[in-house]
Amino acid sequence: MKILIIEDEYRLLKTIEEFLLSEKFVVEKAINYHSAIEKAVIYDYDCILLDISLPGGSGLKILEEMKRENKTGNVIIISAKNSLDDKVSGLDLGADDYLTKPFHLPELYARIKAVLRRKNPGGNAVVTLGNSTLNLNERQLLVNSIDPKLTRKEFDMLAFLVTNKNRLVTKEALAEHVWGDNIDLADNFDFVYSQVKNLRKKIKESGSDIVIKNVYGVGYKMTT
Amino acid sequence: MKLINHLIHRITLFFTIVMLCWSAFYFALQMKEIHDGNDEGLTNLKQEFIAKANRLPDFAENMERESPLNLIVKEISQEEAETVMENFQTTRVYFSTELEQEEVRMLTSAFFCTLNGKHYQIQLFTSTVESDDLIENMLYLMLGLWIALILTVIIVSRIIISRANKPFYQLLNELKKFRLDSHAMMNFPQTKIEEYRQLNRAIRDLLAKNREVFTEQKQFIENSSHELQTPLAIVIAKLEMLLEKHQNQQEYVSEIASLLNTLNRMKRLNSSLLLLSKIRNCQFPETSAVNLREVVESVLADFEDLAACKQLAVETCGDASLCMQMNRELAHILFANLIKNAIAHNEAGGKIVVACEENAITVSNSGKQAVINVFGRYQNIRNDENSSGLGLSIVNAIAGLYKLEVTYRFEQNMHHFRITLK
Repeated sequence: MKILIIEDEYRLLKTIEEFLLSEKFVVEKAINYHSAIEKAVIYDYDCILLDISLPGGSGLKILEEMKRENKTGNVIIISAKNSLDDKVSGLDLGADDYLTKPFHLPELYARIKAVLRRKNPGGNAVVTLGNSTLNLNERQLLVNSIDPKLTRKEFDMLAFLVTNKNRLVTKEALAEHVWGDNIDLADNFDFVYSQVKNLRKKIKESGSDIVIKNVYGVGYKMTT
Repeated sequence: MKLINHLIHRITLFFTIVMLCWSAFYFALQMKEIHDGNDEGLTNLKQEFIAKANRLPDFAENMERESPLNLIVKEISQEEAETVMENFQTTRVYFSTELEQEEVRMLTSAFFCTLNGKHYQIQLFTSTVESDDLIENMLYLMLGLWIALILTVIIVSRIIISRANKPFYQLLNELKKFRLDSHAMMNFPQTKIEEYRQLNRAIRDLLAKNREVFTEQKQFIENSSHELQTPLAIVIAKLEMLLEKHQNQQEYVSEIASLLNTLNRMKRLNSSLLLLSKIRNCQFPETSAVNLREVVESVLADFEDLAACKQLAVETCGDASLCMQMNRELAHILFANLIKNAIAHNEAGGKIVVACEENAITVSNSGKQAVINVFGRYQNIRNDENSSGLGLSIVNAIAGLYKLEVTYRFEQNMHHFRITLK
């Protein structure tokens, strides 16, 4: 899987690159508008991470250019501006997703996975974990072919953990993924704890092998 | 008072005073001319009479016969004659033929008859213009003239002033419609009047300068957002990488997690501050008809799990549908902050009540005591290090933007926040 990162902040670019390399992606980088537009228009990528504010031109122009060249690059906009205008015009110009800085790496990973999944349907939408299968497109968990009927939020939690399996996901990242930015309450540690507890209970009752490991009280990890 | 009425009022007042003075002056002058003419005639008559009296020896005897009706001659002593000063006066005399008193001009004088050596007082009079009648006639004429002139002044100045002021009112309307955050510069009315041209120029310059400042400020907010969010993103991403590398060593994990927790707080605080300044800078221009009840319901659905986790009972009552023209995102933020506040400052096993009325929504939650100055910034009553204390400031800023009234009261162990549509 080939990913292009367009980001003018070198240290962030390096960190994302390091992270994606550890996930066995092939990573290309562009640090300014001109190199970005060159790469985006000439080569094909499975996914492009695009920062909107770039030296030399707006990221939205790159999207326009790609649209003109009929390139559908599965673009995820990464912007420091949480501006609805940018979001709307970005998505109108063919971007697939919009992520506001700062973000959690597991969140970025989940978004990339979702974009890739949308690109080739059925390809990696079904994850099998022991006796359980998780269909991310159908949004369904089957344990020994029986649906334990998870709620929407429970499924979101599970899917996020499954997507980020073998990785430590902090409670913050999990809460933000499932409940959005709104949940910025002091009590969200207890809150996430109780939600995960319910999810675990449901999974256990259904007889699934899935184990959500608690990591030193700071987060969770799913191992296979 | 409208400018045009003010001007016409003043012009008319001034005009009336001038007309009044001029009329009085004109009348006085006219009367003087008439009297001068009469007086001259009387003087001539007197001189002729005296000459005649000195020529005819039997004048004194025949005086009764000779004298015309407009003449009174009376013999007087020398002493008396010396005191008589020649003077003209306007007086009234009874005419038996007319059966009324008539206004006359009378010359009183004295002369010495050389033929008989006697002194005589002589009073000559002639009928003159009746000043009352003249005043009356003049008054009617003048009044007619005044009214005609004033009406003309009012109509003409109204037409002229309105025409001349047209660019001014156009400018005023344009200014009322103008918004600093809109992309288009306003239209300036065409005019030949130098003052209005200057006004147009001055306003254009002022607006251009303000737009520049506004844009700069907007950019500053966006830039500061960018400047802060990017380093935060770097640190958070780096720490998450570090967390992953050391995920089997508890001391690292706990330390990094606590750092991440603090950074996330900083991130939220930063975005709250940015949101607050964006609201205050009116950077949410798009509006649509928003059903507030629907917004509240969707916010409640978002927070359902959180409320359930804190074992809070959530009730909604009232079935009124409130609609208003506002930014949908802001409507959501407004109620999200109120509900969040109601959850955060609640008691274990407490409740949240959302009441929708015809023109108000009240969010109530259980609590122990009233909070003083609840809307002040950083009124963080629980001293909670994870809450930014900006929630209600945001609520207030949004309410201020849409002229909503937010009131707080504490009643029956409940905090009530009421949003009233005006």
